Amino acid sequence: MQASRARLFKEYKEVQREKSVDPDIQLLCDDSNIFKWTALIKGPSETPYEGGVFQLAFAIPEQYPLLPPQVRFLTKIFHPNVHFKTGEICLDILKNAWSPAWTLQSVCRAIIALMAHPEPDSPLNCDSGNLLRSGDLRGYQSMAKMYTRLAAMPKKG
Amino acid sequence: MADFETSDDDYYGDDSLDGLDQEEDDLLWTPQRTPSSASKVITRASLLAAQREDLKRVTEMLTLKEHHARTLLIHHRWDVERLLAVLVEKGRDRLFTEAGIPILDAAHQASARSTSSIMCNICMEDISPNDVTTMDCGHCFCNDCWTEHFIIKIKEGESRRVRCMAHKCNAICDEAIIRNLVSVKDPEVAERFERFLLESYIEDNGKVKWCPSVPHCGNAIRIDGDSYCEVECTCGLQFCFRCSSEAHSPCSCLMWELWIKKCKDESETVNWLTVHTKPCPKCHKPVEKNGGCNLVTCLCGQYFCWLCGGATGRDHTWTGIAGHSCGRYKSDHNKVAERAKRDLNRYMHYHNRYKAHMDSMKRENKLRETVQATIATSESKDDGFRDYSWVTNGLNRLFRSRRVLSYSYPFAFYMFGDDLFKDDMTEEERQLKQNLFEDQQQQLEVTVERLSKFIEEKFDKLPEDKVKEIRMHIINLTVLVDTCCKNMYECIENDLLGLLQSTTHSIAPYTSKGIERASELSVCPDSDQILNSSKANDDDAHDPSWVSSAPGTDSEPRSEGQVSCASLDDNGCSSRKRAREETLGSLLFDLNLPAEVA
Repeated sequence: MQASRARLFKEYKEVQREKSVDPDIQLLCDDSNIFKWTALIKGPSETPYEGGVFQLAFAIPEQYPLLPPQVRFLTKIFHPNVHFKTGEICLDILKNAWSPAWTLQSVCRAIIALMAHPEPDSPLNCDSGNLLRSGDLRGYQSMAKMYTRLAAMPKKG
Repeated sequence: MADFETSDDDYYGDDSLDGLDQEEDDLLWTPQRTPSSASKVITRASLLAAQREDLKRVTEMLTLKEHHARTLLIHHRWDVERLLAVLVEKGRDRLFTEAGIPILDAAHQASARSTSSIMCNICMEDISPNDVTTMDCGHCFCNDCWTEHFIIKIKEGESRRVRCMAHKCNAICDEAIIRNLVSVKDPEVAERFERFLLESYIEDNGKVKWCPSVPHCGNAIRIDGDSYCEVECTCGLQFCFRCSSEAHSPCSCLMWELWIKKCKDESETVNWLTVHTKPCPKCHKPVEKNGGCNLVTCLCGQYFCWLCGGATGRDHTWTGIAGHSCGRYKSDHNKVAERAKRDLNRYMHYHNRYKAHMDSMKRENKLRETVQATIATSESKDDGFRDYSWVTNGLNRLFRSRRVLSYSYPFAFYMFGDDLFKDDMTEEERQLKQNLFEDQQQQLEVTVERLSKFIEEKFDKLPEDKVKEIRMHIINLTVLVDTCCKNMYECIENDLLGLLQSTTHSIAPYTSKGIERASELSVCPDSDQILNSSKANDDDAHDPSWVSSAPGTDSEPRSEGQVSCASLDDNGCSSRKRAREETLGSLLFDLNLPAEVA
């Protein structure tokens, strides 16, 4: 408990210090609870998510960093490895391949990488996975782009 | 004993008894049953000793630390041969990395040590070099983080594969480090880790299984060789090593599973149904007659005659049905209607016989007690001069073959039924094979019943010459029954299962002497002590206390006196030979005890 708190404070300081280093990621800690974080990540360029800003919610277990944080998308996203309704993410480092050496920052980076390189063979969103698996790249991209525009972009007047 | 020995010649000549002796020798103590092919009971105390052999082989062959050898063995499910095959095929480095053993990099380790204060990447604190641990893979974290990591992994049941905390580092952590760190913080978890590690030898091993006894006796059985075999644990439970259910040869595991399920599902219902119902000729559902005349109407609307089960029209009187007379013989034109009934009958046929022999076996169990009491009194009467081993032998043979006989019925049910092998045989072939098998089965059955009859004779009340006659019969029948069993198995293995086209169906082979009783693994005096010593020094795999008692090193033949007194308990024959062949640390395979009894 104490260890996880200490480590999260360290990460918090680190985040404050390096705010400008990675402009694609903005990590925010809940004011009253250090075990609740949110993050805003920018959709990677040259993907259908480009231009969107996606919000992630982190729920951090007490045994952190020995156990992985639970992360999900708050912003709706059409992606094979993200559950369309709950925003749950299927990513090995958040499950069995977790290593305590990961930080919240690096988890965000891994999620951005996942957005750019979907794994259609382990889909949480079957429609999206099937589009990719059947080779319908255009179908997938236009769907993803549409949802990015609908959910992840500020509404224009 | 002496006067009986001489009278043997008068009664049967040399051949019969020599034949008996030789036969048993051939069966049991030829090279096929070398000491190494025996199954072993592994108790909690001997669990460590059991692994030692394999660990030692690997540590010596690859010049490894013991914990690395264990990691390798766990990864390869304790199959040393496979491990070596991988070594030859892929080379040492691949073998190691795949199992999660880092290939040592001394320079890397040295550099990690040189700095004065080390930042632990997990808790992000600066830690003094005294409080960090560098794993073999070169990754260095603080002891607190390591300990927490280990405890979490052990609680997750990952004791056998605790990996390094660094990202993508596949290395398995040094068990000595885990042990030391965890035991400081949480001795209970450390204990659990120890147990999991030890039990890996049972859990992750194709050749070792827990004894399925309930309540659990705490033992595991290790076999050497074919997994299609039946063994007896020292707790007395006999089981099929393959499927962990009761011993069921000559049924295959699949047959037995189906049979048990079928018996459970159907025994009561089937009894009632056959007595009270008839299948409707149209929908084949069983119909109960709830009164009235012999014209019965099924719920599906079909009329049929209760006497013959045939479909009829609806016009009828009390005595007859229009256009129907089942008194007149008709050929079996309505095959479908008959089918359900035939299936039932078929099952009942096999089940009844199976059950009958099982019941006989139970009754003969009681007989065993009385016979043994008789032997005891007779022996005391004539000062142990006479040898009654022929009775015990006969009795044991009776149990053994009774068991085979009763299991041969479910075997036949599936072998010649439609469930499993429908496409493997044409109808003609099946008929032919069934006849072949049933001949063997019947021969066995007749002989078993005859043997049973003679054993039931109260030989202590009979005059001397009558006893000799019975003795002769029993000895001859004992041999004959064994031969019958062997023949039946031969028929099953060669002519029936051996010729299947589509599937392979394996059964535990017939062992003349009964189900093999696993012997206690020889244990060093105090395995805990060794555990501690291995804790203290990982390289110390050569603790003399267990080396001296390890299997295979104790090859001195037992003294005659010891053997003969041990063998008198159950059977007089072939014990000397047994002693000579059995060079393992543990005593007495007694394969002669039959099912259900031991």
